[in-house]
Amino acid sequence: MNLFRSEEHIERWLGGREPGATITAGTMCELAHAWWDTRLAPDWRPRTRDENQAILTRLGLTGDFWALL
Amino acid sequence: MNERELEFRNLVYGRFVELGRVPRFEELGFDPEEGKELLRSLHDAHALVLERDTTEIRMLNPFSAVPSAYRVAAGGRTWFANCAWDAFGVCAALAVDGHVSAACADCAEPIEIDVRGGAPEPDEHFVHILVSAAHWWDDIVFT
Repeated sequence: MNLFRSEEHIERWLGGREPGATITAGTMCELAHAWWDTRLAPDWRPRTRDENQAILTRLGLTGDFWALL
Repeated sequence: MNERELEFRNLVYGRFVELGRVPRFEELGFDPEEGKELLRSLHDAHALVLERDTTEIRMLNPFSAVPSAYRVAAGGRTWFANCAWDAFGVCAALAVDGHVSAACADCAEPIEIDVRGGAPEPDEHFVHILVSAAHWWDDIVFT
């Protein structure tokens, strides 16, 4: 999951490869905070697949590409 | 994940953040043989990532235990992160503002982003996720 200066840079980097998903750094930062904010909590427990999927959905990250196993 | 694995996992993460590096078994108060077994179980449960075929920790997501292209200044230290997601995740996990230093994966131009109140400044960059979510753990290092 790489950072790029612009969408044009992503296209050039892909070089004809099948693209995955592109999101803004703002959305990624929001996702990171929703995903990792309890990582160091002393009572941390693993989330379920459905809980993780709900985080993605809440941020509008839906569809086949974002479907967790 | 059983209670012993959870206890060990939380201890490893806590000491990692305290020390700024992977703790040794004796610093955790665990017998090395039991510790290695617990590390393997946690790796299998995707609670951390070991170097291939070893018990050396590579990732305590979102932190990287090895140098990477994503550096994060946060909480009075500089950390390595595994990817763009994890770079922001370091600030999230530590619950602090921070600064991400990376480079455009295409042109290698430096990218410097402040993270303030859970948002990037400037918010003008993009992240590309090549691997679909169902396959993230097929090869988490590549992902």
